[in-house]
Amino acid sequence: MTHPGFESQVDALLDGELTADDARELEAHITRCPECARLRDDRLALRAAITAGVPSYRAPDALRERVRTALAVATSAEMRPMPRPQRGPLGALWRPMALAASLVIVAVGSWNLALRQAQSDRLADAVLASHIRSLMPGHLTDVPSSDQHTVKPWFNGKLDFSPPVHDLAARGYPLLGGRLDYVNGRSVAVLAYGRRQHLINVFVWPAMPGQGNVPDMRDRQGYHLRHWSTPEYTYWVASDLNATELQDFVRQLQQAIRSDA
Amino acid sequence: MLPHMDAAYTLARYWTRNEQDAEDIVQDAYLRALRYFDGYRGESPASARAWLLTIVRNTAYTTRKRGRVDALTTEFDDTEHSLAAIDDQPAGVEVRHDAKETLGRALDRLAPEFREVIVLRELQGLSYKEIGEVTGVPVGTVMSRLSRARARLQEALREKGER
Repeated sequence: MTHPGFESQVDALLDGELTADDARELEAHITRCPECARLRDDRLALRAAITAGVPSYRAPDALRERVRTALAVATSAEMRPMPRPQRGPLGALWRPMALAASLVIVAVGSWNLALRQAQSDRLADAVLASHIRSLMPGHLTDVPSSDQHTVKPWFNGKLDFSPPVHDLAARGYPLLGGRLDYVNGRSVAVLAYGRRQHLINVFVWPAMPGQGNVPDMRDRQGYHLRHWSTPEYTYWVASDLNATELQDFVRQLQQAIRSDA
Repeated sequence: MLPHMDAAYTLARYWTRNEQDAEDIVQDAYLRALRYFDGYRGESPASARAWLLTIVRNTAYTTRKRGRVDALTTEFDDTEHSLAAIDDQPAGVEVRHDAKETLGRALDRLAPEFREVIVLRELQGLSYKEIGEVTGVPVGTVMSRLSRARARLQEALREKGER
């Protein structure tokens, strides 16, 4: 066999991933070392075999069509977020006034409910998208710090509010940092917490009176979302942590918020 | 209109080793891409491709975690995937594989984490850094996975040559 460690170096050389200096050095070594030379030749042969024998696929036309349709549907749903009120009940206005009035109330009521539902769905989507985006390398924090007294002032001047920041390290959820994000048509503060390998994102923005006061919990795509509001702020929490521990985290955070107030 | 779909489909195809699952994953991924597009800040066409492949890869990964394609996916395991396990033909039956078939079978036997680095590097020509971004691991891990995956494919080819 080859000397360990050289294998991936030879690979990196053939992949053009070494710096010019390192490449020169390794090439010089290969001319002196038959084992590494054989490894290089084997790798070149493998590459040729892969080129010849491992195909790239062309996406089937039916798939292109499917995706195009799905995207068109999704786009038009986004453009027309408000469900239209039912025509049927409004037609009933021709009937006796009392009945008509009650139907209008029902129609408007369900229209509002559907609207609120749609808003909250879109919000959950936006929070989840941001959470997943934050898992990509380099996207988690703008201000990486476990110190709440570093993170809180960092938001000054970047937001039109000063989000409450709590370190929950003592309770097993260390603060990892904060970042700005854009959700629900506004800039929001996001605080990242850790629990073993899992990340928890807490989204905070000022509460709007009469909006989103209903606590919400939903699970989608393997992630858990939790939502609640205080009189001052709206909170959304997103994580892949198991539901029990996430519930505990939410409890700890709510406690810390209450003890602030 | 639908850029990078061949690349997306190829990655999904090798991830799932199944046409139907691959199509579902590509469709899911493009819908996700539509939703996340606000978060996309890359400039070059190449980074758009890596961005899309990241979404495809994550879609495939979470789909597997949800168990939908679990049956199709074997974890990487040195004992199970030893050289002996690569050829499961009954003894005494003379079957001649050409190199292409051997290679395809060996690739299928790799765990998806190893298979994907081969696909991203050899078929799609991504740099180590881009592969790290797509698969969410450090460049060092990309290097070692790539080396291990290649070593394994090479063993399979050598095995075949000796028979």
